[in-house]
Amino acid sequence: VSREAKNQPGPKTAGRDSMDDVIAVYKRGIDRTLLRENLKLSVEERFEALGELQEFAEELRRAPRTKSP
Amino acid sequence: MTKFAALLRSLTGEGVEFVLVGGAAAAAHGSVRLTRDLDIVYRRSPENLARLVRCLAPHRPYLRDAPAGLPFCLDEETLRRGLNFTLMTDLGALDLFGEIAGGGGYEQLLPYSISLDVYGVTCRCLGLRRLIEVKRAAGRPRDLEAVAELEALLEESEKNPGP
Repeated sequence: VSREAKNQPGPKTAGRDSMDDVIAVYKRGIDRTLLRENLKLSVEERFEALGELQEFAEELRRAPRTKSP
Repeated sequence: MTKFAALLRSLTGEGVEFVLVGGAAAAAHGSVRLTRDLDIVYRRSPENLARLVRCLAPHRPYLRDAPAGLPFCLDEETLRRGLNFTLMTDLGALDLFGEIAGGGGYEQLLPYSISLDVYGVTCRCLGLRRLIEVKRAAGRPRDLEAVAELEALLEESEKNPGP
């Protein structure tokens, strides 16, 4: 195996690097203020918030839609 | 809508041995992402399979997205022959995992779990670090955004440790 080939990242390394890159990009877009507020809640309150979010999402899904004229 | 409280009470009430994983575990750790189901890794001992069947039987478990009328009975034999089941029940969506990619089964995950006191019951929930490792190991593109949030949560928790 040539030195050049040895220095090439293997498939796993390349996969890990690209995964880290994607995660880093997503991380930059995270609203940490929401996370900090959520971390102040108890686990039960977090589940309740999740339930409310589920209800809201369901309500939005059911909402009638009309096309703008 | 999934009734998280009722599902957790029902599972723990019957003494089912499980570790909470997935989006609900992430929510327990502070995730603000929406999840629609409860994911658990269950112990595959004969006793625990019997407990799972007793727990779920009253809630009419059925395979999600299975064609209506497809005969399905969640009994011990079905659980023994299968491994992972995506179910709809009267209490909502429940995913039963005998194993998860990158994490293994109940026995492998238990040492990395934390005790969670919620809705008046105590259950095991996969710890945040292991949850991140498992999602990373699974390597599914759709999980990468969740991993980013979990890692941010870990950083925030370390900056401001709770009581």
